[in-house]
Amino acid sequence: MLRALWTVSALELRTRLRDGTAIVIAVIVPVTLATLFGLALGGDDPPLKATVGFVDLDGGEFPASVRREVMAAKELKGSVTLRDLPSREQAGRELESGAIGSAIVFPAGFSESVGAGKGGDVAVLKTPESPLAGVVASAIVDRISAVVDARTLAVRAVLRAGVPGDQVKELVERNGAAGPAIGLADDPLAGGKIDLSVYYGSGMAALFAFFVVGASFRGLLTERKLGTLDRIRAAPVAAWVPVAGKAAVGFALAVAGALLNWGASVLIFGSTWGDPAAVTVVLVAHVLAAAAITMLVTSRVRTDAQADGAIMIVSFVAAFFGGSLVPVYNLPGPLQAVALLTPNGWTSKALTELAGSGAGLAAVALPVGVLCAIALTAGGLAVLGFRKGLLL
Amino acid sequence: MTTLETASAPATTTTPALACRGLRKRYGDVVAVQDVGFAIAPGQAYGLLGPNGAGKTTTISMLVGLLRPDSGTVLVGGTDLAADPTRAKAKIGYVPQEIALYPELTGRENLRFFGRLFGLPRRRLAARIDEVLDLIGLTDRADTKLGTYSGGMKRRINIGAALLHRPEVLILDEPTVGVDPQSRKAILDGVERLVGEGMALLYTSHYMEEIERVCERAAIIDHGRIIADGTRRELVSLVGTADKVELVLDGDVETAFAKLRAVEGVVEAARTGASSVRLIAEGGRYLLPALITAVEGSATVTATQVIEPDLEATFLHLTGSTLRD
Ligand SMILES: Nc1ncnc2c1ncn2[C@@H]1O[C@H](COP(=O)(O)OP(=O)(O)OP(=O)(O)O)[C@@H](O)[C@H]1O
Ligand SMILES: [Mg+2]
Repeated sequence: MLRALWTVSALELRTRLRDGTAIVIAVIVPVTLATLFGLALGGDDPPLKATVGFVDLDGGEFPASVRREVMAAKELKGSVTLRDLPSREQAGRELESGAIGSAIVFPAGFSESVGAGKGGDVAVLKTPESPLAGVVASAIVDRISAVVDARTLAVRAVLRAGVPGDQVKELVERNGAAGPAIGLADDPLAGGKIDLSVYYGSGMAALFAFFVVGASFRGLLTERKLGTLDRIRAAPVAAWVPVAGKAAVGFALAVAGALLNWGASVLIFGSTWGDPAAVTVVLVAHVLAAAAITMLVTSRVRTDAQADGAIMIVSFVAAFFGGSLVPVYNLPGPLQAVALLTPNGWTSKALTELAGSGAGLAAVALPVGVLCAIALTAGGLAVLGFRKGLLL
Repeated sequence: MTTLETASAPATTTTPALACRGLRKRYGDVVAVQDVGFAIAPGQAYGLLGPNGAGKTTTISMLVGLLRPDSGTVLVGGTDLAADPTRAKAKIGYVPQEIALYPELTGRENLRFFGRLFGLPRRRLAARIDEVLDLIGLTDRADTKLGTYSGGMKRRINIGAALLHRPEVLILDEPTVGVDPQSRKAILDGVERLVGEGMALLYTSHYMEEIERVCERAAIIDHGRIIADGTRRELVSLVGTADKVELVLDGDVETAFAKLRAVEGVVEAARTGASSVRLIAEGGRYLLPALITAVEGSATVTATQVIEPDLEATFLHLTGSTLRD
């Protein structure tokens, strides 16, 4: 049976490679489009919108001045909103519901502890749902801790010098290590930069994966028209051989295409997509989902011409609503929710997460899981459809 | 169904190469095939004769495992097709009615692809391909693209692709449709040779001559049912000793036709064209003068042909219609 499978796959591969459109569709077109989008829209940070929860259990002057600074920083104007919340628990709930993207928590007694030269810990609450907001909160806290470190050092030095405790505060402030002068001015998202070349590179890879893998199932309908499918089915091979033989090739070509898109994005823009193993897993999961969906589509149409049209429509709808064409964060809220009904949405989310942080596979477990679930569901429905048509 | 006692029926001791019973297939309201059954012994050629839409292809699709019958069984060399499809299919060589090949591959590559599906090892497959190319007379064109072949050449590769694994039974669904006389002769010669070598054959056609030439037994199928089966002689004897008489008329053909039907001795009558009629008549050749006299006044007979009983006459006799219209 493996030999029959290989025979079908070898012919499919040969047909696809001979027909140069395979490479054009898998690599050249998506890379070109991603490059054009990337250049036209600038390889800059994406328009960022983040709501950061602000939990001030301290009530002292330190948190107050952090808030003042953040509000005043014109680099963050319009993109970062602070929302005051009464407790850490409340912040956790809001985070859960998606009302905020991250939160900064100042513990009780923070200002006093810093003032006494004992330092202090500011907590950051993050969720993989909004990687960008997490990056913003972390960046702010990074700055705070730098200030706290400096302040602690100064306080300790002054104490060392024998200044009485009640005069330390005044001395330190007078000599410059005053309130938290947070330097948010330059590079507020250090380490979390997601440039548009990654966004569009992955978006185009996600879109074109549908076409590449879909072409194999379309080929099945072409063979039905040619009569060769019946001929294969009349041979002593299992019923799944023609479908599987073609699907394997479409899958391999689509994965290769997505990886080449990634490679091209790195070469052309010098962009970083993040942890290579995790990126690969996400891309493979995306192609699986795309394969299952295009298989479902082709199992419900009669001719290869209909399959062309149907695959085209489904691919573009998934790409549009999934944020492969227009960044999801530019869409209104309800549409952002719709994005999560498409594999593209989850793929984009996962790749954004990876590119925006040093996160690894664990961070994208949810999106990858959802992609696999989509693949299983659509694949299962497709097999039921095939049973009535292309298989027995 | 007309069943005949037959002296030449296959000995019941040998396992038929192909046997089916009670086959039935329905498409919505159309019952395409019902209660079809027959058995073909090894080395026997069996014809399935029927007009367009009779259910020939539907029957074959069920025999080769492409279509699941609503009911009925298929045994290939004793193997139940439904129970062990892989084993059963390995014994069948199926030649679809339409050409089912890859136009962008060469003839040889097409043969290699289908041969591999039957699990032939590389070396043996290469040798078999050469043998088959020789049999179908396409050795010199084997390495050009199929898309450049003539219709007849494609037909021959279409058949060749079913022969590579030396099937026990070869199933040909109208293999000579749209074929030039030379290719047609090559196909029929080749098929006869294979049967001579012991291969069982199921041959469907609406060309009477082919069935008569190739098949020792045949079934006549119409509207999805087998309405008669037996050896050629048995089938023909169903019409009795009647001859087939074809007349071309000039004048009021309608009235003339009615008059002809009424002539004593005319068993069957059918219009075969705007000005032609076909009659089955007892002792037709002696009846000619009576026929010519009968139409006088409405039409004149401009051409006549008398054919002794054949399968076509049988078909006309059994169904009241011609095979090809
Ligand atoms: N897939 C199908 N769906 C619906 N009806 C069908 C289908 N296939 C065949 N039929 C009908 O079943 C009947 C038998 O068709 P079939 O193709 O078996 O005839 P045939 O004897 O092979 O005719 P031909 O000589 O034209 O090839 C016809 O009435 C046909 O319209
Ligand atoms: Mg047919």
